[in-house]
Order: sequence, then C-alpha cells, then structure tokens
Amino acid sequence: MPGTKRQEQKKQTRSRILEAAIEQFAKQGLTTTSTVAIAEAAHVAHGTVFAHFSTQEELLSAAIEEFGKRINQRLHELAGAGGGVREVLAAHLKGLTEHEAFYTRMITEARLLPEEARNTLIMIQSTASFHLSEAVEKEITAGSIQPLPVHLVFNGWVGLVHYYLANSDLFAPGGSVLERYGHELLQYYMTLIKAR
Amino acid sequence: MKVCIACGMPMQEKSDFPNGDTNKDYCAHCARPDGSMQSYEEKLASYTAFIVRAQGLDRQAACAAARSAMAKLPAWENVHTR
Ligand SMILES: [Zn+2]
Repeated sequence: MPGTKRQEQKKQTRSRILEAAIEQFAKQGLTTTSTVAIAEAAHVAHGTVFAHFSTQEELLSAAIEEFGKRINQRLHELAGAGGGVREVLAAHLKGLTEHEAFYTRMITEARLLPEEARNTLIMIQSTASFHLSEAVEKEITAGSIQPLPVHLVFNGWVGLVHYYLANSDLFAPGGSVLERYGHELLQYYMTLIKAR
Repeated sequence: MKVCIACGMPMQEKSDFPNGDTNKDYCAHCARPDGSMQSYEEKLASYTAFIVRAQGLDRQAACAAARSAMAKLPAWENVHTR
C-alpha cells in the first residue's frame, strides 16, 4: 500500500531529524542550536524540519523527552542490577558517561528551558535516586553507611558530579570529565559517607 | 520488556510486579496492598512523596513534576486535571 509506505518514510524522516537534533543540541547547546544546523546534519531541507515539528521549541521538547527516555532506561538497567551504594553510584556514573554531552547541556541550561524539560530532568534524577535510596537504606541498616537523610546522600553526590560537569572546560578540556575523574569522585564520596 | 503504565518503570523481575503477578501492566509500586492499581490521586500523592523524600525538593515543585511525568503515561491519558 503506497499510503503505508509514505507513512513509513515520514516516520523515518522524523526520527532522522530527531537523532540529528539530539546530536546537535549536545554539541552546540540546547538553547543555541539553530534549526538550520539540525536540518543540515539530518540532510533535509530546512522546511522539512517544520513539517515534522511546528516550532523550534517543539523539536527541543521532543529531543529532551527522547533523551530522557533513553537515559532513564539505561540508568534503570545499570543501577537496577542490585549491589550496594558503591555499585549504584558506579552504575550512575557509567550511565551519565554514556550520555555525557547532552546531559551536561541539560544541567547547565536547566533554568533557561521550558518547565517540561526541567520536569524531565527531575524524572532522570528520580530513577537514579530511587536505586540509590534503596541501597543507602540497606547499608544504613547494616551499619556500613552513616545514618544520613537519603535525599542529602543523593544531592551531595549529584552536586559533586554536576560541579565537575558544569565546569568540564576547566577540568577536562575537550574530553570526558567523568571518564577522567569519575573514579576519583566515587572514591572520595564513599570515604565521606562510610560509617566510621 | 514491560513498562509500568502508571509510573513508567521498566519491569524486569517478578518482584517488580504486584504480588509477583506478571500479567499486570502496572508495577508493585503502583499497586494497593490488595494488588489493584492505585487511583490517579493516590499515585500523584505517592509519586510526590517519593520525589520529596529521595531528592528533597519543595513539595509543590515535586507535585508539578509528578503531574507532568504522569501526563505522559498510558494509565492516565484520559484523566483530566487542572
Ligand atoms: Zn509503576
């Protein structure tokens, strides 16, 4: 059926634009990337972008939502494997490292983004904090971690990681901050929260 | 793999399902003790409480985020909220 084929093509073009958008947003920034650059990267005419996403903001929202789904799925996969606090934090680092460029854009531009995008960021943190809080509670009961409020264990960790990501140009110019410092940050943080 | 229709959590293990019932489309965290699915208001309250407890956010901000996440999930598609 030709109608089905056309629909299939339309779907493919849409996903090609979305992929190109995710890549360009990661490279050039969420609020600063032009639709012209995205069209070029997707090898489509500029007008084609707007045939699939009526505004730049709609494309940005779709890209963030898709990114959120992927990183959430991955974090759940990695951190859900069980283990203690150290294993969950290591899994969190691995998931973030795989998506480092886009994730860094999200946290550094968070307050400039539409509310929906900020909510997606909270959902990403929900997945990570869910697995961390389970592990933290277990280890507190077992006496291997200090009896700290779970939200502070999460925020302390995320605060540290985000500081390095936000200043990646100073900590690891041109490279991956998490690959370079992830292990050191994990060691340091575990020392901090470990029961004495 | 199944994804919970009420909270979006991927369900891999038997323990992810309500009372281990893998025929269910919602997860253990979205079920009442008797195994039935929580209502919209119940889920919104428990989701909000979880965000406050695990991330320490302001209750209203947490509630807005929970509402926004739930709006994208199949179980709540036809729920009209303010
Ligand atoms: Zn659920």
